[in-house]
Amino acid sequence: MTPDLLGFVRVLSSAAVDYVIVGGVAATLHGALRTTLDLDVVYARSPANIARLVAALAPYRPYLRGAPEGLPFVLDEATVARGLNFTLVTTLGDLDLLGEVAGGGTFERLRADAVPIEIDDAVCWVVSLPRLIALKRAAGRAKDREALAELEALLEERDGLPPSGR
Amino acid sequence: MKVLERYGLLPDPVIEHYKKDVDRTLLREHLKLTPQQRLERVVAFMRDVDRLRAAFRKRP
Repeated sequence: MTPDLLGFVRVLSSAAVDYVIVGGVAATLHGALRTTLDLDVVYARSPANIARLVAALAPYRPYLRGAPEGLPFVLDEATVARGLNFTLVTTLGDLDLLGEVAGGGTFERLRADAVPIEIDDAVCWVVSLPRLIALKRAAGRAKDREALAELEALLEERDGLPPSGR
Repeated sequence: MKVLERYGLLPDPVIEHYKKDVDRTLLREHLKLTPQQRLERVVAFMRDVDRLRAAFRKRP
């Protein structure tokens, strides 16, 4: 299923959910060419924000990705408050709800230097490109090496300064 | 000051090696678009891939 990435952004932003887009969609918004099949967001852990988040997602039937059907799983306020990170499938596509990412990436920390991006009439916040690079470096995954090379080249092209390491 | 150092990031020799193969002409073209246009372009591309996969599954 091709995810409705714009739909996710519209739903979360119109419900005034506090979140920062990270991962592949953030890379795309900054100009990277790699495709991604899910949306990763870091959300604020305040009770009020969790309430807005679960209410906004409820119509899209969020369920644990890869879990057997029929589990008594409901993405409600208590579930989100007790957990932290959730990998979900919804009728809009796959969504990763992250309370925190490797490298100390809480909502408050990421939001401090996040970039506002206007999509249709909604404003959403996207992790800054240098921070995205730092997060991917902190994750330390071999599969991210090519993506990191692209992101760092993108930063060099965007800023128009001499590349590092030459 | 070089770009990575400006953001407190030290160059990683492994990443620098991978960076040689990045097609910067494509990145420069993508940077001319707005963020929304970039996302729409990727989503359209994925939808095309989905259609091609469906066609492949239906092949005789």
